[in-house]
Amino acid sequence: MVELITLILFFFALYVIVSLSLNLEFGYGGIPNFGKALSVLTGALVVGGILNRLLIWYFGIEGDFISASSLAAYRMTEIVSQNPLIGLGIFLFCVTMAVVAGAIAGALSILPSAKLKGDYLGVTLLAISEVVYLILFYNTEIVGGYYGVSVPDILAFVPGEYRVYAYTVLALICALLVYLFLEKLLNSPYGRILRGHRENEDLIKAFGRDVMKLRIKTMALGSAIAAIAGVVFVFYSSSVVVNAFNRVEWTFYPFLIVLLGGKGNNKGVVLGAFIFVLLKMLIDFYKFDIKYLLHLPFEAVWLQYIVFGILALLILCYKPEGILKEEPIYTPPIKSRLKTNP
Amino acid sequence: MILLETKNLCKSFDGVKALDNVSIEVERNKLTLVMGPNGSGKSTLINAISGFIKVDSGKVIFEDRDITNREPHEIYNYGIVRTFQNPEPLKSMTVLENVLIGRKHSGEEITNALFTSRWMKEEEELVERAFKILEFLKLDHRWDHPSRALSGGQMKLLEIGRALITDPKLIIMDEPIAGVAPGLAHDIFSHVVELKNKGISFLIVEHRLDIVLKYVDNLYVMFNGSVIAHGKGRDEIEKVLNDPKVIEVYIGD
Amino acid sequence: MIDVLIGAMVWSNLLVLLALGLTMTYITTGVPNFAQASFAIVGSYIALTLLRLIGLNPYLSIPVTFILGGILGLSTYYIALKPLIKRKASIEMLMIATLAWDLILFGIIGAYSEVLSAITKKTETLFVFTSLDFNIYGIPGRLIVSSLLVLLTILGLYLLLYKTKFGIALRASMENPSLAEAMGINVENTRLFSWFLSGALACMAGSVLPYLQEIVPQTGYFIVVSIFAASIVGGLYHIVGALVGGYIIGISESLFTYILSILLGPGVLVYSKVISLLMMIATVLLHPRGITGTEMWRRVERWLNL
Ligand SMILES: Nc1ncnc2c1ncn2[C@@H]1O[C@H](COP(=O)(O)OP(=O)(O)O)[C@@H](O)[C@H]1O
Ligand SMILES: [Mg+2]
Repeated sequence: MVELITLILFFFALYVIVSLSLNLEFGYGGIPNFGKALSVLTGALVVGGILNRLLIWYFGIEGDFISASSLAAYRMTEIVSQNPLIGLGIFLFCVTMAVVAGAIAGALSILPSAKLKGDYLGVTLLAISEVVYLILFYNTEIVGGYYGVSVPDILAFVPGEYRVYAYTVLALICALLVYLFLEKLLNSPYGRILRGHRENEDLIKAFGRDVMKLRIKTMALGSAIAAIAGVVFVFYSSSVVVNAFNRVEWTFYPFLIVLLGGKGNNKGVVLGAFIFVLLKMLIDFYKFDIKYLLHLPFEAVWLQYIVFGILALLILCYKPEGILKEEPIYTPPIKSRLKTNP
Repeated sequence: MILLETKNLCKSFDGVKALDNVSIEVERNKLTLVMGPNGSGKSTLINAISGFIKVDSGKVIFEDRDITNREPHEIYNYGIVRTFQNPEPLKSMTVLENVLIGRKHSGEEITNALFTSRWMKEEEELVERAFKILEFLKLDHRWDHPSRALSGGQMKLLEIGRALITDPKLIIMDEPIAGVAPGLAHDIFSHVVELKNKGISFLIVEHRLDIVLKYVDNLYVMFNGSVIAHGKGRDEIEKVLNDPKVIEVYIGD
Repeated sequence: MIDVLIGAMVWSNLLVLLALGLTMTYITTGVPNFAQASFAIVGSYIALTLLRLIGLNPYLSIPVTFILGGILGLSTYYIALKPLIKRKASIEMLMIATLAWDLILFGIIGAYSEVLSAITKKTETLFVFTSLDFNIYGIPGRLIVSSLLVLLTILGLYLLLYKTKFGIALRASMENPSLAEAMGINVENTRLFSWFLSGALACMAGSVLPYLQEIVPQTGYFIVVSIFAASIVGGLYHIVGALVGGYIIGISESLFTYILSILLGPGVLVYSKVISLLMMIATVLLHPRGITGTEMWRRVERWLNL
């Protein structure tokens, strides 16, 4: 039971980070980022592709990338188990790199369609993300592809039985920081102009805003944030397996969460993430029981896809504003007006 | 004193000439009206001036500067704002937010947004201004309502409010009273006249001449992408309206 | 080399069928359908089922896949999109709806592949039809059949659009939906027609696809970019665009992979998607309306008197 709760909390934290970043782009800014998975994958790529290569080079390990990575990860894990500070240092180093790489990936991926309307924007973002995913999946030399590569355990200093809890706490801290950051950032004229962009881009163009720049900056920021989730995820799983960063889990599900919780409302998105992860983890955790109980002649994961697809359609149709409605942005001067002229 | 001038603007869509050598002048502190039947190129003219479409040839000159084919956001920086033919307010945002968003704000930069102190003063002044404007337009009692709750006429007023907060030199409006009841339409134009007296110039496209005529200083008539008649001042406007070419166009409409 | 050319032609033919549906539904409904590739995989599994259960040759099952595919297309419109369009949902929301629908289809395909495996006592999650193909004077059946399907589709569409009253209304509303609506043409009918045809053509293409490559439930995720690239490069606002784009993308992908495989050895199929993506990005940057949206194309059209 504790195991299940920890699992739920860990993935809750990851989905909070990714969905909040999508809420920035889509919920506030109206950018249909159907390439969300790309930014999470970028975080994983930083750890599996860059950190591993640095370590292989540092330890002077020979051989093919995948087995050299295993050895490098093993050696680093040994070192970290004696030196907590090195582990945390590596983590911060990777987060920093992931933020930079995520920002670049986000900005680049929106560049081709930054001037176009929502449909072209969405299609191009999806296509770029899919192609990068496919290449990283089939080419095992970049970051292990479908075989996967090991990465060091940056919390190796924590005794084995507490390892998962430690990662969960780490993930929750990251999620909390992202939440506070975005709440502060978006309760401002920046949040206002993003909403304006979502409602009518021509109008804000006529009022002096460079829509292309706004989109590029917002995508850079959103992707930088989501890349952090990728870093936390791969350290937790001690490996990068590219399949784990597919479009369903890291593009579609975050959209489902934003819609469920309420687009444009960060609190709603956190709530949405919680409900979604609870459901998903229960299905994952009890998949054999479900299969047996319902006499399913197939794996429960297919049922999960169908259920979440239907759930998304139902929300779109019957509750497009989500559980918690969007609220106006009350900056301090507006808030004081609420008292003087209600 | 000429504020804005177009010189021989041309624009074709798929071989159809939407603008055919259009030259107009907008005088400072005057209300210039462009009229003409549907499809005569009025909106295209506005789009060309405000940078929403790129013209094939010709020039747009504003305060002696060439602003032809600039991006819309650059044109705003010169002090020109425009409204759209089918105004869609930012529906899910409040009336106040709709006005506030008119003006560029240093708090919109991601690096500033995080530090409230960097944009607080600007925001205070802006909110103050916005309330004054809403009072002027008699929309202040609804400032915290979502703008989708407004009536059609109030939405048009809101458009004016959003334009005002930018301290513009020129406001361009595309059919500001289309679909508005006559009473409210006169209301809107009396606001326009008041603003004109405060030093703002107007370029307005409209074809409900019955209502707007008495507020107009200069008049252009467009048909099939060209200006077919124009007049400055009362007497010339009178002449234009009795011009057989103009009458024919309007009877044909 | 000749095998490469045959493969390129078959793949292009199938892409044309898939892109045609995507373009048509985009024109009539205004939403890019992310489930288009999954339509094809549903077709593949329908053909597989008929083959396994009643021994019907997949080529002969094409009429059945056509009809079932049409029903799939219609249900996509009725279930996933129409309720939202009625509520005036934004284009972004409609796109999410097609993503959701795609996921539902993916779940159904995956579940069904396991159900079918249980019935036939074989693994049906991965299959090909290549060994079933026939051959006339060295020309493989998949080339003959896929070319015939494209020819028949074009001929049928031409007759329908240019020679019938319904077709004229249809064309009017595809060229300018809002104008057509104002003129009293029933836009809803053109939507139903395009969704039916979109599903039907895609499923038909899907029943030939296993002759060309292995099918797994995830195959849709592998081919979706190619379909979008074909439609966009050709031009999303013109049905002929799907034809032009389908051949350009299909042939470029195949030739590019061939050259790469000579240079780098096997396992380079995935890089064909890079070429599609680059062509798509180039189009989006330079001329978002695609080849059929260019001034030059219009001149060609006038010259052909279309
Ligand atoms: N974006 C566009 N693409 C193609 N044709 C257009 C476009 N905008 C306007 N037109 C055409 O240009 C002509 C003038 O239109 P418009 O400027 O909207 O007229 P008005 O505002 O006077 O009613 C019309 O024939 C219209 O169909
Ligand atoms: Mg107009």
